[in-house]
Amino acid sequence: MTKMNRRDFTTGVVGLGAATATLITPSYAAGKKPRVVVIGGGAGGATAAKYIAKDSKGAIDVTLIEPSKNYYTCFFSNLYIGGHRDYASIGHTYEALASKHGVNVVHDWAMDVDRAAKTVTLASGAKIPYDRLVISPGIDMKYDSVNGYSAGQQNKMPHAWKSGTQVALLKSQVENMREGGTFVMVPPPNPFRCPPGPYERISMIASLLKKKNPTAKIIVLDPKEKFSKQALFTEGWEKHYGDMIEWIPASISGGVKNVNMDTMEIETDIDTFKADAGSIVPAQKAGTICERAGITKGDWCPIIPMTMQSAMDENIHVLGDASVASSMPKSGFSANSQAKVAAMAVRAALTDSKAFPPRFANTCWSLISDNNGVKVGASYKAGAEKIDVVDKFISKTGEADDMRSATYAESEAWYSAITNDMFG
Amino acid sequence: MQLVTKKKLGLCLGIFLISTSAYSGGDPEYGEYLSAECVTCHQANAADAQIPSIEGMSEQGMIGVLKLYRSKDLDNQSMQTVTMRLNDEDIAALAAYYSSLPTSE
Repeated sequence: MTKMNRRDFTTGVVGLGAATATLITPSYAAGKKPRVVVIGGGAGGATAAKYIAKDSKGAIDVTLIEPSKNYYTCFFSNLYIGGHRDYASIGHTYEALASKHGVNVVHDWAMDVDRAAKTVTLASGAKIPYDRLVISPGIDMKYDSVNGYSAGQQNKMPHAWKSGTQVALLKSQVENMREGGTFVMVPPPNPFRCPPGPYERISMIASLLKKKNPTAKIIVLDPKEKFSKQALFTEGWEKHYGDMIEWIPASISGGVKNVNMDTMEIETDIDTFKADAGSIVPAQKAGTICERAGITKGDWCPIIPMTMQSAMDENIHVLGDASVASSMPKSGFSANSQAKVAAMAVRAALTDSKAFPPRFANTCWSLISDNNGVKVGASYKAGAEKIDVVDKFISKTGEADDMRSATYAESEAWYSAITNDMFG
Repeated sequence: MQLVTKKKLGLCLGIFLISTSAYSGGDPEYGEYLSAECVTCHQANAADAQIPSIEGMSEQGMIGVLKLYRSKDLDNQSMQTVTMRLNDEDIAALAAYYSSLPTSE
């Protein structure tokens, strides 16, 4: 069978400007539908599965492999901690992907990828063949990046960086902290999922403590010297939480030397901090299946910007946090945007559908205090080496309350729209 | 306030129906592709949401509003960034596509 290779695809796209191009159709035997397998049902994988199934109108068989039957989004999980959402409101199912779009949803773990045979092996032992594979597994933790922290004891100071039950656990730990106690947050080093996330989490924990435990303190032991939306968060923390939050960069603390999970003591060069509750978020890497598939370089998966194909295998597309999609941040919005680019490339490769030049976008909203939302965002295009910024924006310090309130309302409308775009 | 409510959108729309010369003939299929970027935030039947539904907007109205965001005469940073890279053909295509859809609500 004739396969279109990457060069054919990119050549097809490059010459066309804003117009459209019909690409060469591979000669799949009549009656034998091309098969796409998608690993991971988050913002990247769910969107890709839906768009490939929906837009191919049954011409492609799509199988989505995702262990969770109820998927809790990472985005807006901080708002649940802060009391602005209930737990159920950040949970979603795959019912519409199956019933409305015809996606074959398999609740199982993808354990291995055989790139030569083009099969995915599941934990149950089944092997699923593919013509194109989309890998969107999100992140895994590098637990040993923080001395003393371990998967076995993580619940004492949960990273809660994959949403779900750990976020519920963290919320209850903050709510049950002793009066005037200390919460210690250790954000991850770059690069990591959701750059403003640790700082929104700090804001939401402060918001909760201000109402329930106003003499409590929050110590942030950051391995970094600067962070996303720093001016906006710093301004908001001072204005709304006074001296509750103390942010200490590694240049001052010397970094976290050791964590004693039994005594909840966090050792640095300047002091040992005793936590009454805490959240330690280790360094991160692409979901482990990426290593199994042999598509990582270092901790992450390099990609071809035009199609989100793996730089190491043209039959695999890698989406979202697991990919090196710089200049785009690791965010749900980014993954959703990349998924649409990949879905179009997959359909063009497997059927006679048109391919247009890829367009990427991202916006990250953060809530600093009640009704006080800010945002940062950009539009992007595929460059030769990476995904390049076309235009970008960020909320300004000192904005009026009604604008911040409108930005927060906008984020709520976005949450509803993007989760519908993923799961609806 | 920075964001455009449905009411304001309607107002802009009215102005443009009067003052803008028509550019039509956009390619709705290309518009459908471009709309994948819109649906991350704009949802059908979002009656009370801060981000309005745009299905079934009039073709000229949508062309007008998108151009106002592009020229930064309307004030939403996200919309200004999105429209900055839309050329007239892109805008016409989006308008052709969205105006062909049934109105929400």
